[in-house]
Amino acid sequence: MISAGIVPLFVAIPLAGAFLIALFKKIKGIPDIFGVFASGSMFILSILFLLKMEITQRIVYNIGNWGGFNEVLGKIVGIQLVIDGLTIFMLLIVNFVAFIVAVYSVNYMTRYTQKWQFYCLFLLMLAGMNGVLITGDLFNLFVFVEIASLASYALVAFGTEKRELEASFKYAVMGGVASLLILMGVVFLYSYTGTLNMANMAEIMSGSEQPALIYLVFGLFLTGFGLKAAMVPFHAWLPDAHPSAPAPISAMLSGVLIKTLGVYAIARVFFTIFGFPHQISIILMTLGAMSMGVGALVALRQWDMKRLLAYSSISQIGYIMLGLGIGTPLGILGALFHLFNHSIFKSLLFLDSGAVEYAAGTRDLKEMGGLSRKLPVTSGSTLAGAMSLAGIPPFAGFWSKLIIIIAAVEANHMKLAAWAVLMSIVTIAYILKVTRFAFLGALKDRFVNIKEVPVLMRISLVLLALICIFGGLLLIPEARAAFLEPAVRVLISGMGGGV
Amino acid sequence: MSFNLIIDALKNPNGFFASNPLSLLCAAFATLFFVLIVVYSLKHMKGRKGVWRYYIYTIATYVSSLGVLFAANFLILLIFWGLLGLLLYLLIAFGRKEGTPATARKALIIVGATDVLLLFGIVLVWKITAGSSGLQGLFHMPITGMGIPLSGTASIIAYLCFASAAFAKAGAMPFHTWVPDTAENAPTPVTAFLPASLDKLLGIYLLARVTLDVFQMTPTMNTILMAIGSITIVAAVMMALIQHDLKRLLGYHAVSQVGYMVLGIGTGNPIGIAGGLFHMFNHSIYKSCLFLAGGAAERKAGTGNLAQMGGLVKAIPLVFVTFLIASLAISGVPPMNGFASKWLIYQGVITSGDSLWVLWLIAAMLGSALTLASFMKLIHAVFLGQPSEGVKKILADKKGKRTALSTAIPLVVLSTLCVGIGVFAWKIPFGQLFRPELSGPVDSPGIWQSGTATLMLIAGLVIGYLIYLAGTLKKARVVAPFVGGETLEDNPDMRVSGVNFYMTIKELGLLKGIYRWAEKKLFDLYVVAGKIFAGFGILFSFMHNGILSRYFLWFIVGLVVLCIVLI
Repeated sequence: MISAGIVPLFVAIPLAGAFLIALFKKIKGIPDIFGVFASGSMFILSILFLLKMEITQRIVYNIGNWGGFNEVLGKIVGIQLVIDGLTIFMLLIVNFVAFIVAVYSVNYMTRYTQKWQFYCLFLLMLAGMNGVLITGDLFNLFVFVEIASLASYALVAFGTEKRELEASFKYAVMGGVASLLILMGVVFLYSYTGTLNMANMAEIMSGSEQPALIYLVFGLFLTGFGLKAAMVPFHAWLPDAHPSAPAPISAMLSGVLIKTLGVYAIARVFFTIFGFPHQISIILMTLGAMSMGVGALVALRQWDMKRLLAYSSISQIGYIMLGLGIGTPLGILGALFHLFNHSIFKSLLFLDSGAVEYAAGTRDLKEMGGLSRKLPVTSGSTLAGAMSLAGIPPFAGFWSKLIIIIAAVEANHMKLAAWAVLMSIVTIAYILKVTRFAFLGALKDRFVNIKEVPVLMRISLVLLALICIFGGLLLIPEARAAFLEPAVRVLISGMGGGV
Repeated sequence: MSFNLIIDALKNPNGFFASNPLSLLCAAFATLFFVLIVVYSLKHMKGRKGVWRYYIYTIATYVSSLGVLFAANFLILLIFWGLLGLLLYLLIAFGRKEGTPATARKALIIVGATDVLLLFGIVLVWKITAGSSGLQGLFHMPITGMGIPLSGTASIIAYLCFASAAFAKAGAMPFHTWVPDTAENAPTPVTAFLPASLDKLLGIYLLARVTLDVFQMTPTMNTILMAIGSITIVAAVMMALIQHDLKRLLGYHAVSQVGYMVLGIGTGNPIGIAGGLFHMFNHSIYKSCLFLAGGAAERKAGTGNLAQMGGLVKAIPLVFVTFLIASLAISGVPPMNGFASKWLIYQGVITSGDSLWVLWLIAAMLGSALTLASFMKLIHAVFLGQPSEGVKKILADKKGKRTALSTAIPLVVLSTLCVGIGVFAWKIPFGQLFRPELSGPVDSPGIWQSGTATLMLIAGLVIGYLIYLAGTLKKARVVAPFVGGETLEDNPDMRVSGVNFYMTIKELGLLKGIYRWAEKKLFDLYVVAGKIFAGFGILFSFMHNGILSRYFLWFIVGLVVLCIVLI
């Protein structure tokens, strides 16, 4: 039905876009147009895959046609690109958010000089993320993780002020060490299995008794990908890095980057290759619970809007990890659905913080007040995002939290369920801090003359806000079967074997 | 296509909605209040910017409350319940006082937090009853006919989760603190609509449904409910005594009265429960009347501070009469409606057989007496007493004497209901009205003939008035106050405003300490929990000191611990 030949486009288009932008940077408008069209076409391509593929179908593409060696050597030598349910699910989220962010940036990035560099790095990061999602080769996965990470280090430092450079340095050092650990894990695993193809690895791992070395690999991967996902205690770079980046990039980092490089990679490696052993389940639940608590409690004390949102990301990643760690179909469904919701509402909230900064020139909640009168669209969309984050029914975030809590109760993890409930309450408290201090109350004199943000920014905000309001409809059986179930099925089918 | 779906939903194919006599009655009252509040708002909210949004939110609130009342399964109930919390936040934000943003946030945090608890309770009930039926089972879990015994830890926690949601919505302790703040800082119609009437109906409705339909109560749980009710009654009314803001004072009474409803439902016998539910309706009538009248007085005087009011009876006589009737009703003075339901609750407490029933009865009666005392202060300070400088100016302005029609209609309707229900209360067949909720017939051991008593009361009042006319009281002399020529800085217009009527109790032994704690907000769960969480937040913030090597240390420690755990 759908040709495997178009799979590499997910990497090729953004790479080509980045290259062309650098080439035609002198022509006014080219960077904007290329950025929007490259990410937009990715999004359309992902929708095409979603519509055309069978639920259990798996599309495999052999790069350079190295697949022929499979018959000769009995194992896969070249790099494979694989598209399955989980990949499509993630591709849709990543490229949708990227498209929205690109549209938003057309207006927003006029605050900065050198817009072409921004779009160039942005598309490079997108190429890296898409590569991580579609690759079927473990070393190739590492390479794409590095591409996306390097682009994000540069983007965090984009403002080139003191704070941005410091944050970027910290992020680069921590991220570099994490990449090293991931590489070590890949090396150990390769030395043991003799292949880099993930499907082959899974077969070998499910066969014989495992050596103790495997547990070291677990530790290396958990630490390395855990840092990319910003799980406590590997999260410390995030509260500096995410607020320092320009708002659209914060939205990308918090919205999709930590999920692609962190959550998706963990899910892929531990479910597909290792068959989700019991210890991993316990560790993921523990780390998830810790992340939920630390992120939410520290967020409560923040006065910088973006910093508050960054801590909130740590806390929400905890919910996703908790759901994954429970490991029942319901838990995985909740985790993936929460991943989707979090991408939407956290990008929205970061874009809103950017809109407030654009209009009012501040990120400090103490300096704001009464902005809802001047910024109705920003204020309304922030409220929608905040309610989704807080899990107030019937907003989208409520449903995913509900499913995670149900899954925890169903699996008899009563204390974890109670902890998730408690932290939901803290979540309500900290996010209402944003809506209350920024938008309610009397308008301060210095804001009397501010205007609502430009139209492209408003369009992106409204689109995301609508998804926050109506996202719960994805749980309707028909929509769930098309969008969420295939992804859940991939993870479930990966379980069972293994250590 | 989608149109057909809506039609199907309205025809109720999947059993999403159901009704019973109690929910129908609640819906009737909700409709009444909705109409009256909209009428009142026509004048009160006139000229504000974005007032169309106010009406949209009000309508949405009304529709959501119908959704709660007619929800046939827990999930539908939860959705509308959560929506109401958000709408409350949006409506409070229309206030124009300094404390409005903080109040809006507080209200949504308290209500939202208990929403999450409600969710947890629902999930626990699902686990207890139909844990194996999967998600579908949860989406179609009916509210009625469960009868879960309160024996295991899970079911007790589930019940407490439900109860806390009901308490937060209705404003019972310890989740009450948003009610006085809202009363002070939100627009009057919002207060009269949500915390005073609609939220009471919904909260107590949920408590009744959960207590009677979903769980089987145990004597211990009944005692806990009665204790919460009694503490709420007395503590809130004690706080009301010392307030000096008109609507904040009324807000504390709104909390205090919830205690009676909880107490009534906690008795666990038909008459007590009937009394509790009856009190819920009565309360929403007189309390919205009080808030609307108080709001009219505040608008007239231009302030809600009791020290700066007084003598308003001449400016707004109609408002005064309705306020007086409603305050007699809330104090439980026969033959008003408040008495009728309190009378049932007293009987319920006496027949409950609880070992501590004397204590609960004393609390309930003391609460009534203190309520009356506090309203004497309020009426003196607002309507009677000597007018303050500000009010004198208003009185001098002849033009402002008429009460606007859209203000008068709700007040007259509500105060008529106060008297009407009170006088004809004994004719209402409680046993039939709340039939499915009760386990047996309502047999009232006490004797109360409302009609006869009313006649006797009227006769007594007439005789008293005649004596007043005939007697010497008429010859009382009115003079200006004289204090030896000294000007009083604290009280320049030299009058007794009535604000300090009960300040003495603040100085009494044990109460002194308790009041001091209350003023420090030590009993405010919101503040206390906030401090505890902030404490943890400070702890963790210290660990995020921004030093790279520290962060790196955690990273390495994390790696080592993980490897040790794994191997």
